[in-house]
Amino acid sequence: MATPLRSAYQPKFWKAFWTNAVLAPRTSLGFMRLDFVLGSIFVIPLTQMVFFVFVVHLGGGGQSEIEFTAVGNAVATITYTSVFAVCQTTDTEKQQGTMEHLLVSPANRFALYVGRGIIPILVSLATVAVGLVYADVFFQVPIPASTIPALAVSVTLTALAMVGFGLLLGGVALYLRTSIILGNIFLFIGLLLSGVNFPVSNLPVPLQWAGDALPLTWGLSAIRAAIAGDSLSSLGVLWGAVALSGIISIGLAMGLWGVFERRALATGAIARF
Amino acid sequence: MTDAPMVGSRRRATGASLRLAILLFVADPQWLVPATIAPIIFGLVSFELFRGEGPYFLTYAILGAGMMSMWGQTLYGSGWATGQDRNLGTLEPTIQAPTPYLYVVLGRIIWNVVSGLIGGVIVYVVVVIAAGGPPALPNPLLFVVMFVFVMVTLASVGIVFAAAFVYSRFSGFIQNIGEFAFYIGTGCMFPVILLPFWTNPIALFFPPTWALDALRYISIPGYVGFGWGWQWDVVGAVVVTAVYAAIAGTLFHRVERHVLEVGNLADY
Repeated sequence: MATPLRSAYQPKFWKAFWTNAVLAPRTSLGFMRLDFVLGSIFVIPLTQMVFFVFVVHLGGGGQSEIEFTAVGNAVATITYTSVFAVCQTTDTEKQQGTMEHLLVSPANRFALYVGRGIIPILVSLATVAVGLVYADVFFQVPIPASTIPALAVSVTLTALAMVGFGLLLGGVALYLRTSIILGNIFLFIGLLLSGVNFPVSNLPVPLQWAGDALPLTWGLSAIRAAIAGDSLSSLGVLWGAVALSGIISIGLAMGLWGVFERRALATGAIARF
Repeated sequence: MTDAPMVGSRRRATGASLRLAILLFVADPQWLVPATIAPIIFGLVSFELFRGEGPYFLTYAILGAGMMSMWGQTLYGSGWATGQDRNLGTLEPTIQAPTPYLYVVLGRIIWNVVSGLIGGVIVYVVVVIAAGGPPALPNPLLFVVMFVFVMVTLASVGIVFAAAFVYSRFSGFIQNIGEFAFYIGTGCMFPVILLPFWTNPIALFFPPTWALDALRYISIPGYVGFGWGWQWDVVGAVVVTAVYAAIAGTLFHRVERHVLEVGNLADY
């Protein structure tokens, strides 16, 4: 008897997924106002690229260094929507007082949390696409048309993995007073550790290991390899690494939410600031 | 007869506002962290990109990152300087008080710049540790004087922004999306003259552009900035800062009149 009753009240997976995907930008995701979204897609990639390209120029870098930096920052700006905006869902739920309701909802947790990442994934795709167009037009980064299919796969996988990482940070933030500090750290740490402005090999070995733990490092490698026209076999390895980092992030995020949900139900304290 | 009590009231208001800003900061100092993360990382990245280019490029990285920390605090703090009154519902009562609102905001802006300096010191320490030693400074005393002057110019920008943000619902957009544009436009990490020429006159609208150029002239031997040299940079910074102060006074006066006439400034 319990099963039919439970299934009657259990929202359908896809309904929960789609509802979250559509509603999250207006409710729980940070920085999803239209002006912020347009700014993230069109303004931030350009200004961030200009900033670092001129730093490279001042440091005596040539065209190859400028191209390296331009591509790196075109991709790195993905963190604004995929990580910073997504990890704020927890804060927003707490502030709005909806966290308690969420924790007692029978909705499928995967649909609930991953559904929120759909719009950020789309915005992230647009951000990287516009960034790469800027890299080509303003900084003369050659992007042959033949590389576009592989580039599209690399960018899509990177966006998925990065949103997964944002969800993971959102899970960690459930236990913190605020996610802003966490969000700010991971908004910029990739600029140092992920090979955005200089090769990862320039870093001390422990920092290289830390960089390897970030999906941006693998995503950026895959995107650079795609632009360079690398073979499918070498691209496949990088795509696998990006996908794996995304799967691990989402898996850890789901695990963390599960742990903290149980803790919240046991102590009633997690949803509070 | 009437001016003396008013001057005392203004001074007290600024002092009280500054004190409250300090207490709020001490109660929750974690908010310095977001403001220092980006400059520390940008400082380290720049240091790596400048590696091998000469001893004075460390000064570029440290000055640039420190300046970004102070800029960030000014930009975000200015938006919040009036935004907090809106959020807390204290905008109308504060504006109704006999002391001009400008002097209340001034206390908050002063603390923003000082806390930005704290961030700048943190950035300095981290980059110096990464570099293995402090940068060489040809004239440390003049450097300190000029650095304080840079802070004053930043405060002037902060107070104009605070006034302008009262009228805008887009302060968050300007702070977050426009952050890099301010760093580029005022030459935080590299001289403005490296940018296309058409951008230079726009950059000169900002007092920190002049002051930072002067600061680099006195701290980096062989620095090539604006052709008129650091003394004229200082003159330019003083003039533009004075213009900003006048604009801030006018804007706040208008804000106060507007809120009394229309009564809807606190609405989002």
